[in-house]
Amino acid sequence: MKDKAIGALAGLCAGALALPAAADEIKVGLLLPYSGVYAALGNDIEAGFRLGLAAFADETEARFAIVREDTEVKPPVGLAKARKLVLDDQVDVIAGVVSSGVLGAIRDFVHNSGVPLIVANAGNDEATGEQCSPFITRMSFSNRQVNRPMGEWLHAQGVQKVYTIAPDYAAGRQMIGAFVDGFTAAGGEVVGQEFTPFQTTQDFGPYLAKARASGAEAVYAFFAGGEAISFVKQYDSFGLKEAMPLYGAGFLTSPLYVEAEGPAAEGVIAALHYVPTIENAANAAFVAAFQAETGRVPSEYAVQGYDAARALVQATATGAADRASLAQALAKVSFEGPRGPTAIDPATNNIVQPIYVYETVAGETGLTQKVLAQLPAEADPANGCTLSATN
Amino acid sequence: MFHLSPLRLGTLALLFAGALFSAFASGYAGLEILTEILILAILVIALDMVAGFGGMVSLCHGALMGAGAYAFAMAGMSLGLPVWAAMLFAVLFTGAVGWIIGAICAGSHGIYFIMVTLAFGQMGYALVFESPFFGGDDGLAGLARPDLSALGIDLNRSRAFALYCLAALVLVALAAAQILRSGLGRALVGIRDNERRMRALGLTVWRTKAHLFGLSGMIAGLAGVLAAQHVMYISPGLMAWTVSGEALVVVILGGLGTFVGPILGAAAFVVLRHEIGALTPYWHLVVGLILIAVVMSRANGLFGFVEGRLARLAARRTAKADAPHREPRDA
Amino acid sequence: MDFGFWLFQTLNALQLSMLLFLLSVGLTVIFGLMHFVNLAHGALYAVGAYVAATVAGMVGYWAGLLVAPLIVAELGLLLYWLLIRRMRQSGPMAQVLVTFGLIFVLLDLTRIIWGDIALGIEVPDLLSGRIEIGGVTYPVYRLFIIALGAAIFAALALVLAHTQIGAMIRAGVDNDQMAACLGINVERLFLLVFCIGCALAGLAGAVAAPVLSVTPDMGLKILIPTLIVVVIGGLGSLWGAMAGSLIFGFVQTFGAVLMPGLASVLIYALLAAVLILRPAGLFPARG
Repeated sequence: MKDKAIGALAGLCAGALALPAAADEIKVGLLLPYSGVYAALGNDIEAGFRLGLAAFADETEARFAIVREDTEVKPPVGLAKARKLVLDDQVDVIAGVVSSGVLGAIRDFVHNSGVPLIVANAGNDEATGEQCSPFITRMSFSNRQVNRPMGEWLHAQGVQKVYTIAPDYAAGRQMIGAFVDGFTAAGGEVVGQEFTPFQTTQDFGPYLAKARASGAEAVYAFFAGGEAISFVKQYDSFGLKEAMPLYGAGFLTSPLYVEAEGPAAEGVIAALHYVPTIENAANAAFVAAFQAETGRVPSEYAVQGYDAARALVQATATGAADRASLAQALAKVSFEGPRGPTAIDPATNNIVQPIYVYETVAGETGLTQKVLAQLPAEADPANGCTLSATN
Repeated sequence: MFHLSPLRLGTLALLFAGALFSAFASGYAGLEILTEILILAILVIALDMVAGFGGMVSLCHGALMGAGAYAFAMAGMSLGLPVWAAMLFAVLFTGAVGWIIGAICAGSHGIYFIMVTLAFGQMGYALVFESPFFGGDDGLAGLARPDLSALGIDLNRSRAFALYCLAALVLVALAAAQILRSGLGRALVGIRDNERRMRALGLTVWRTKAHLFGLSGMIAGLAGVLAAQHVMYISPGLMAWTVSGEALVVVILGGLGTFVGPILGAAAFVVLRHEIGALTPYWHLVVGLILIAVVMSRANGLFGFVEGRLARLAARRTAKADAPHREPRDA
Repeated sequence: MDFGFWLFQTLNALQLSMLLFLLSVGLTVIFGLMHFVNLAHGALYAVGAYVAATVAGMVGYWAGLLVAPLIVAELGLLLYWLLIRRMRQSGPMAQVLVTFGLIFVLLDLTRIIWGDIALGIEVPDLLSGRIEIGGVTYPVYRLFIIALGAAIFAALALVLAHTQIGAMIRAGVDNDQMAACLGINVERLFLLVFCIGCALAGLAGAVAAPVLSVTPDMGLKILIPTLIVVVIGGLGSLWGAMAGSLIFGFVQTFGAVLMPGLASVLIYALLAAVLILRPAGLFPARG
């Protein structure tokens, strides 16, 4: 109460001096997991987001206030927190959402209440496909976007037969499905597929033996977090890496946990929308700032938070200040960021960005990412999204 | 033996008044918390029935609640039943599942009973988690709330939904009290206190246990239906064994076998979690410590503590009042 | 899918079984003696893995393997004096709930101390690489896990069957009051067994760390398989823990190979069958 009174008083004084600045405070709800299996991701995204707001502060008149809520990676909790942010805290915009499950749970609510949501991770294709919404803008990636071009690239490298493996849940199936699309369209053959029980599989040994017996030239995998660490280590320990090289969606060897994978990750080639070794000025500035702040190399999660903040800044710079105008402005964002040319596709509100093929290699101070190829940015097909008709 | 003492009735009335007041007085977040409390209260009444009055400490009530939620969702989505029919189906289905589990586990006691129910709960969880039919880890969205527009009520509004849950809680509490007061409920308490004697009296023990577990399952199923309608989305997380563990915690926190205590415990637990959760992402740590402290204190939860104190006070007073009459008689 | 393939999968199954054995043996013997199910056993395993990862990072793998069980045993000692000793007279529900609370306390403590980012340790040079057996090349480290589990099983079986302390423990499992009357310091026996059980959980964590990832939730993940092993084998029995571990390991591994998607449902179905046909498990400690 007292704080509010002081705040109001300060607001009055500030108002007397510089009217527009005080009026333009944008309330941002950060909806991220701070406990549960994705807590590390949530913390990285928030660090990136705060860095982004600070870095681009002078591009806009608006000032930002952040309210953070923990989804605990549980869809019902995520929805309850989203409702609280919108109805109680009256936020102007929500940013975050790591798990596709949470996104699925809050999608209708966000859409119906007309609050702009900047997705900073969750990559399920429907969110910018048949489930798309003028209020949902994705600054992270879509499962299809990351994997399909990798299928074409891998075939172009002369690989004819692959075996795929991923956890058995929607994201795992979408990532592998998109890769298989690209790979078979280019003329490759998938000789076997395995979907392992999500988050309960600790020993991949049984599956790896099947992969070896399949007669494939290479394995394409998607795992994230703890599962990625176990998988990459066990893949190496069975000596499979020499026999059949490991390729995958880049989360497999994310900078966030590649140190835990150690030498087992060396030589793994994967595709992702960001690695910290991309060479451009924006990325150099970002990496330096992130390292100064946290002492760590930024991960793809951090850059998603950073770019989400930058998109928000750019949207407010157009003069948008309320929910409706912010949603509209967010769909038109584009900039040269750490990931290279980054823009929102107005047909789906999904991000359009180049995809980087990188190899994990030993560097001077531990493992690092060597970019092998930059695949051109491709907009996802609308897949039932009718935004372009309404826009 | 179960009876609604004046203290219990009074507390129930107070709780009801409090819920009603906050339903009208609170803002959005308050209503959300209130609804959460009401649904949890229904679940813990179900659990207290079997654990408190029957001595059957179940670690599968979270899974039963989840079974109710999934049955409701599937009845609506796959069978195409209207909302009310789907609700009824879900309650009956969960009751049947509860009855079967109760019948199978009737022979187990103590820690074995806990382990067996945990196993059944995990079985259900694995089934839902790994089968694409139930949406797997991604869950199912787009669940419907009942349409009360004929009565001029829009259940899509938070306040109306909270009152709807409150009405359900009142009905459940009345039904549970009735069950516990009935011959079945008395037989159950008898089994808890001395199973061999009840058997000698000619009671088919397993059947009594199965019936009560089935009824408890129906109530847990209703909690699941309400939870599904509240969030309008379900995922296997609802069935994880930790949910069952938390429900047990709430029962203990409020007072095992006191009927009123667990409802109080539900309110305390949800409020506590929100308050601590707002302060630190490490709220599990604090809640865990509080839980350990409550269990170790040996008081029977919040309500059991008050009840015990008042009973002792009353006993002392009667002892004092009786004293003058007794002395001459003894002499 | 030739002979080599099946041999390979058999080794995988054995490796998983032995890891589970290290965890379940502590849990089950503590139960047999003290009638106490410690749900926080998995959390102790996670602490063991974290300690091993930290020490291995500073000194080396072998130091980690040695220190982790000691630290976890110390932690067990602390828990015993603070909580478990006082809970001895309480019912099973109170005990289950105290250790349930402990799970969350330990989980968040590991998060506070070691953070949310996963850790990993490397296999030591001595155990890295692969060797050829029966026509398959198999990682040495996994063979080491199998050998370690078998060795610990043999040692425990020997101690239980042929030493005085083993006889005391058997007497305590049979009837602790009678054992106390015979002049056995039951309370001290409990403490000893509890600490050894905790040390084995810590050892399991240290052994698992190079194969798996070290994350805060690893204890919660392993708890349910461990409980299944213990319940199938029969609470309180060393042989039961071994039998349960082998059953779990083989069903899980071959289930994953032969009918993927049904592996865990298979386990639970098996568990239900055992519970219905032999409620006390396959090898109950007492008639």
